[in-house]
Amino acid sequence: MNIALAPDMILLSGIASVEDAEPLLAALIDQPGCAIDVTGLDRAHLAIVQLLCAAGRPLVSKPGEGFLRDLPAIGLIQISPR
Amino acid sequence: MDELLSQFLIEGRDLVAEAQEALVALSRDPASLAAIDSLFRATHTLKGSVALFDMAPAERLLHAAEARLADVRKGKVPLDPATRDGLVAIIDQTDRWIDAMETRGAIDSDAEAATHRLVALLDSTVTPKGGITDAGENAEPDWLTTLRGRSDFADVDMASARTAFRYTPDPDCFFRGEDPLAIVSGVPALLALAILPADGAWPALADCEPFRCISILEGVAAADADQVRAAFRLVPDQIRIAALAGEATAVPTDQGIRAEPTTSLRIDAARLDKLADQSGELGVAIRALGPLIEKLRASDPLLAAAFTAVEDEIGRTAGAIQRSIAGVRLVSLEPVLRRLPRLAREAAASIGKTIRFSLDGDTVQVDKQIADQLFEPLLHLVRNAIDHGIEPADVRAAQAKPNEGRIALSVVQDGDSVVLTLTDDGRGIDPHAIRTAAVSKGLIDADRAESLGDADALRLIFLPGFSTVATATNLSGRGVGMDAVRTSVERLAGAVAIDSVVGEGTTITLRLPASAIVTPLLIVEVGDQTMGLRLDHILETTRIEASAIQRIGPGHACVLRDQTVPVLDLAVLLGLGETQDAKARLVITDAGAGRTALRVAGFGERFDAVIREAGGLLNAVPSIAGTTMLADGSVLLVLDLPEILA
Repeated sequence: MNIALAPDMILLSGIASVEDAEPLLAALIDQPGCAIDVTGLDRAHLAIVQLLCAAGRPLVSKPGEGFLRDLPAIGLIQISPR
Repeated sequence: MDELLSQFLIEGRDLVAEAQEALVALSRDPASLAAIDSLFRATHTLKGSVALFDMAPAERLLHAAEARLADVRKGKVPLDPATRDGLVAIIDQTDRWIDAMETRGAIDSDAEAATHRLVALLDSTVTPKGGITDAGENAEPDWLTTLRGRSDFADVDMASARTAFRYTPDPDCFFRGEDPLAIVSGVPALLALAILPADGAWPALADCEPFRCISILEGVAAADADQVRAAFRLVPDQIRIAALAGEATAVPTDQGIRAEPTTSLRIDAARLDKLADQSGELGVAIRALGPLIEKLRASDPLLAAAFTAVEDEIGRTAGAIQRSIAGVRLVSLEPVLRRLPRLAREAAASIGKTIRFSLDGDTVQVDKQIADQLFEPLLHLVRNAIDHGIEPADVRAAQAKPNEGRIALSVVQDGDSVVLTLTDDGRGIDPHAIRTAAVSKGLIDADRAESLGDADALRLIFLPGFSTVATATNLSGRGVGMDAVRTSVERLAGAVAIDSVVGEGTTITLRLPASAIVTPLLIVEVGDQTMGLRLDHILETTRIEASAIQRIGPGHACVLRDQTVPVLDLAVLLGLGETQDAKARLVITDAGAGRTALRVAGFGERFDAVIREAGGLLNAVPSIAGTTMLADGSVLLVLDLPEILA
């Protein structure tokens, strides 16, 4: 997974494996006010998703795209259209 | 035979085969839901079938098996090896009763006792399954009540939801490389998923351990409980599954059981043969076009060319139809071979031996004729291996062999052939003993026996009348009967080979044509007609002066290689008049009693033909074995020499 920083935004892209949990946790702690853009995230391990849940921040994506497209994760995380 | 019974015999054996196949699959993978379902379906349908006949003990026995399998499907009890053995015994017993219905029209008088014993055996295997399951419980578990009230699922169409689950992954599962989200994504028809904090609330980021699973996954799916359980088969202790709307607790109905649509159709083989004949006739009709087109070509070359193109197209399509029909005649060897393991176990048990029989490649397809006629020789070989090959347990123990004798049958397709290899790990066959036995029985003289290599000496067991055992056994009889096996296989245009190492075991290999059987024929002129003779009935052909045929008593004979051979005029035998040539053409055959010379008017070509059994009017002519098609589309009658000379 690639973690990129933009103003007020953490951009996640690619395939997120369990090893990516540690750098993601560090980024979340370092950037406390940033929303998270998961449009480019193709697939994510539960280790990543549970961190996003714990962060409780707005997630940004396009409807029908990103790692949630195969999971009807209703109520999982509120996603705002970009 | 009563049509209902004959239908039951076919379908009952198919169901037994299906059940046995599922049991074999379960011996490899005890958790295979597909195999459990298949076994359940077969048992359920068998129970319904036996109920149509006076087979009440069988119905009770299968009911016990079905009830146990229903519990296994619901996850109430495990399918452990003891249960599987109990189910194997029940299916074997049902198979025996089906055999009894065919031979005697009734099941054994001790059927009640057998049922009692087998049900008791199955009951003795019950142990409650570990792990967590709620399916089938009457009271709704708390988590399900909570899940129903969860706002996350408020938008879900609960009318289509059939199963709910709560998956509590082991906190250390990430270290084992597991991704619970990936497992959940395998749930069929997942309607909604919630990822919830295991401790009731998500911890602050600073308190998060990145490699520790702190989530619980809850979801609802439109799939049924078994399908959902299948998705979680690797984590059975971490999953709770509940059927919604009582789906899993409902008694399975036929409708539910027969979820898989039937895609096959049972066709009477005779109709298929007729189709093959008709497609052959189509070929003949098409070939008649050629000469007509040639006539047309003289007057209208352009029209003739157009006709030729159409003729080619029709010919190609007809060829494709013929190939398709040949393909339809290919059937799986499975129904034939599936009975072998049970019969092998019984055969071994009857003489106090234990064996492990393994079967591989039984789905290979062969022509129906081969499949129909292969069982007997194979059973004979298996019984021989058990009787003469596998040593008694004490002998095996002394040789550091496993107590259970191993017998393996493998079937592989090799080009146009199918090769069946039967291997045992028994005592093997000693070529010296074979030579000695063959000489003492007068089958071969001592010098010739000594000159044979070991491989050729082993083949002596295929001679008629050969036996190496001094005493007869109930199992395979006195004569090893290998000559019968060889004859059966050769009748199917196959070949049998043997290889053996003393002390290590024996391998017998049968090679058979996989598709329609081709028979080498010799064309002969008889009277004013052309007939076919099977080449394997012919020892030789020769020409002699007609004057060398002498009248002896009521018949004729000639001297060939210093032996007097009776001469019969084939045309006279067939009522076609007498053959009168200065040169007598003779076919020497051993198809009758002893060598006989058949006088014919001429010899034609030799070729390989697919012989169809004579049908219709020809069926009433005893001298005709069948027909085949010549290259010009005409039909050749193939004579039945053993019948003619009988």
